[in-house]
Amino acid sequence: MNKPTPPKTEAFRALAPPKERSEASRVVRRITRQPFAIIAFAWLAVIVLWAVFADVLAPYDPLQNNFTPDEVLQGPSAEHWLGTDENGRDVLSRIIFGARVALAVGFGSVLVAMLIGVPIGLLLGFRGGWSDRIGTRFVDIFDALPGMLVAFAVIAILGRGLPSLMLAIGLIFCMNFARMSRAITLSERSKLYIDAARVSGIRESAILFRQILPNLAGPLVIQAAILTGSAIIIESALSFLGIGLESAVPSWGGLLGVAAAKQAIQPFLAFPPGLVIIFTVLAFNMVGDAVNDALAGDQHKRIKPVRRSRRAGAAVASVVPATDPSPDAVVNPLPIWPEPVTDRDVEGEPDADRREPVRALPPLGVAPDRSSGDILEVRGLDVELRPASGPHVPLVRDVNLTIGRGEIVGLLGESGSGKSMLARSILGLLPPGIGVASGRILLNGEDIAGRGEKDLRAIRGTEIAAVFQDPMAALSPVHTVGKQLMEPLRVHLGLSKKQARVRAAELLDRVGVRDAANRLNDYPFQFSGGMAQRVAIAIALAAGPKLVIADEATSALDVTTQAQVLDLLLDLRDEFGMAILLITHDLGVVAEACDRVAVMYAGEIVEVAEVDRMFDGPRHPYTAALLAANPTTEAQVDRLPTIPGRVPLAGSWPTGCHFAGRCAFATDACSEGSVAFVDDVRCVRADELSKELVVR
Amino acid sequence: MIKLIATRLLLAIPQMFIVAMLVFLLVYLVPGSAAAVALGDAAADADEVARLEQQLGLDRPMLEQMMTWFGNALHGDLGTSLIYGRDVTGMVLDRLPATLSLVGAGLLVAMVIGVGLGVLAGTHARRPVDRGVTAFSSIMQAVPEFWLGLILILVFVIQLGWAPVVAWVPPAVDPAKWAQGLILPALALGVGASALIARQTRTAVASALSSKYADTLTAAGVPRHRIIWVYSLKNSMIPVLAASALAVSILFGTSLVMERVFAFPGIGTLLLSSVISKDFPVVQGAALIVCALVILVNLVADISYGIINPKARPQ
Repeated sequence: MNKPTPPKTEAFRALAPPKERSEASRVVRRITRQPFAIIAFAWLAVIVLWAVFADVLAPYDPLQNNFTPDEVLQGPSAEHWLGTDENGRDVLSRIIFGARVALAVGFGSVLVAMLIGVPIGLLLGFRGGWSDRIGTRFVDIFDALPGMLVAFAVIAILGRGLPSLMLAIGLIFCMNFARMSRAITLSERSKLYIDAARVSGIRESAILFRQILPNLAGPLVIQAAILTGSAIIIESALSFLGIGLESAVPSWGGLLGVAAAKQAIQPFLAFPPGLVIIFTVLAFNMVGDAVNDALAGDQHKRIKPVRRSRRAGAAVASVVPATDPSPDAVVNPLPIWPEPVTDRDVEGEPDADRREPVRALPPLGVAPDRSSGDILEVRGLDVELRPASGPHVPLVRDVNLTIGRGEIVGLLGESGSGKSMLARSILGLLPPGIGVASGRILLNGEDIAGRGEKDLRAIRGTEIAAVFQDPMAALSPVHTVGKQLMEPLRVHLGLSKKQARVRAAELLDRVGVRDAANRLNDYPFQFSGGMAQRVAIAIALAAGPKLVIADEATSALDVTTQAQVLDLLLDLRDEFGMAILLITHDLGVVAEACDRVAVMYAGEIVEVAEVDRMFDGPRHPYTAALLAANPTTEAQVDRLPTIPGRVPLAGSWPTGCHFAGRCAFATDACSEGSVAFVDDVRCVRADELSKELVVR
Repeated sequence: MIKLIATRLLLAIPQMFIVAMLVFLLVYLVPGSAAAVALGDAAADADEVARLEQQLGLDRPMLEQMMTWFGNALHGDLGTSLIYGRDVTGMVLDRLPATLSLVGAGLLVAMVIGVGLGVLAGTHARRPVDRGVTAFSSIMQAVPEFWLGLILILVFVIQLGWAPVVAWVPPAVDPAKWAQGLILPALALGVGASALIARQTRTAVASALSSKYADTLTAAGVPRHRIIWVYSLKNSMIPVLAASALAVSILFGTSLVMERVFAFPGIGTLLLSSVISKDFPVVQGAALIVCALVILVNLVADISYGIINPKARPQ
């Protein structure tokens, strides 16, 4: 076949990551912006100057002995700034000359290590397969040997001297380079542009050199800088032991050897060479770190915000059925509509007495606790991100929400809408750097916002509990489920180990885990996702909480399991009478399970309504758009409707209505000032729109 | 569990074999004749060299000599010292208690300080305490352990007189003095390695604490100290153990130097004098035994991963 060959070099130049000169200068600029890095570079410059111009810089000949008693082992003086050694030689001069040995051995041994290690790593990484597996095993074995022992062995074989020192230390580090270049080669090899280069007929060796080496250069420099520091330590140790260079040759380690022998006479002698070694090694490490930061900083600073915005963008897709077609409602003929309850309260003045559980099943165990008052009332809650520098970023704004006893309230919103932050602030589980700015969280009428760990600990598990999204991650992988389930039983109910075990088995049985008593000894990985979530539910329910926050508790499960776990939650509510805050992005879940629903958008609750009312007549344009975008509201779908635009990121919320930018009904008035939450809806045009928004 | 131990043992055997091979080859790698080198420049007597070559087995074919050497090594015979004429195995075993005490005590210091600082930093991630621990560990990385030993002697032995000049007392002679004498060497040895362990522990604890299972337990009202010390710590154990196993290898290496600082009659001082005097059989024997110990420690670490993490057990 004679295909037209593409112009090779262009082909992979286009595909290879850009290697521009401007990038290098950016890195340099970033390094020079770090004050520690500048100090480190300055120190290393001094050391290099010492090494190069030792003959000029040193005040004395480092080899000149002077055995007159008052010249031997002297402390600092005007003639000898750092004193003299056991032969009356000037310590400062010996330190300045010692830089030669330190740098020669440091750079030389790292060069040896690179020359041995990098080819091994390239070969293993590029060949892959069996040779890689066996080779890597060898690398590991060799690397596990104590470095100093390897150095001893090499010196035993080759004797003392500069070349054998370089080889001895180089051999210690070579596997380090081998491992690093193997890893980078492996990852580069698997990247697309290498394949492209291979297809276009370039020799493998050419690929190796032109593709992988540039990518290797950065890490190699970092590693080399840090290992040069380590090499200087090892060199000084070997010189200290007297198996480095000849003892007459000035070296920092050799000076320390003298200091050790004469410690009782001249203790000062240990400090100058020791501190010079420490500063030099520290400087090499800092340079390595600075280069590392400078190379990584580029990616860090740019990728992070991109990731976030991408997630926010995908958020639309997760509500929009293109990727998540609310399958349980479509595929499973589940009873979608809750029985209409006509006499329920409108949000505002709560009178939970009249609230009935949606399902008319008779309670099995404890009667639902429906004593008067709401279990939870959130008022005017603001949550914000407080970065170390820069202004605070609001994440949740002016949230008002009540949950009655035994009630199931849905919190509906796209990811990034702030619903998990709201849940976490109720639980007092906000990540570091995020806090409640204002507002109240009333649990049984008592404000728990901003309470300390101790107060919260008493409430968690007994009053509020939580079930999170990914059941596998929500259980400690290295502890048995029994241990984790017994934890709240012992903490809150004060049960003995034996009693807790019995109760744990009952609980596990109750949530539908078969052979519960034996499965207590199993680890989470031995459970399926659905079963693990049942365990997590059992942990949440163990101490009889009055409110369970289920944060996307069914989202990670497959469709059938999702329905089963949801049913279990509903059953347990009927049996134990706890209220549930059901956080979800799934309209089907809301429809099946909830009494009321709060819709959240970009940090604000935009509408609160009874479930059937919301489906019949949404009052906020965003709710209406959500419903329109969901295929379950229509029997047949020709095209999946979407909400055009993206959710604005926290920090870039518009003044006025957060939804205005995507709203089909927006007017100038919508952007004028923040919109108040009036009569359970946050829309300036709520009254006018009431007729237009009715969904088919 | 037996299966786990068996698989790990099977992996350790070829590892030991390769190391023994390298050790065996040591005399063959000496440029020129190892025997001539051992005897030094002065004693260039051809007869003497020939006699020593015979003693070292250098006159026989390498393969044959290898079989003999491995056979003897398996029976615990590591040859005879060229200088002292004693059996190498006995010489090394005599030195073992001092080295093992030093490395063991150093590991204890490294783990106590390392895990303690790591947990402190991990539970205070990105706060001043954390930055302090990070600064400490980067500085400790740059401090040569033997220099730290010198300074400790200077302060506590010479200036303050709080510690005895002779650090090593065999435990059989006086256990209390043995422990007392180990304090300074173990500190000097362990603080450097603790930086390594502290860094690993910090990362592991910080990620364990921000994990979802920590959320689950916190939301169920489990006290934070229990989550840190029971749940996070066990989850962090594997990286911490891996760092500690690495630390043991480093500690063995560093102890070779530290023994000289504190005048410990251990393998390090033996090895040092043998390297200087070209006593090859002793160098080989001591190196082999140190390597075997390191491999053993790695084996134990490997097995404990399986004990900690149920997933790592062969099913």
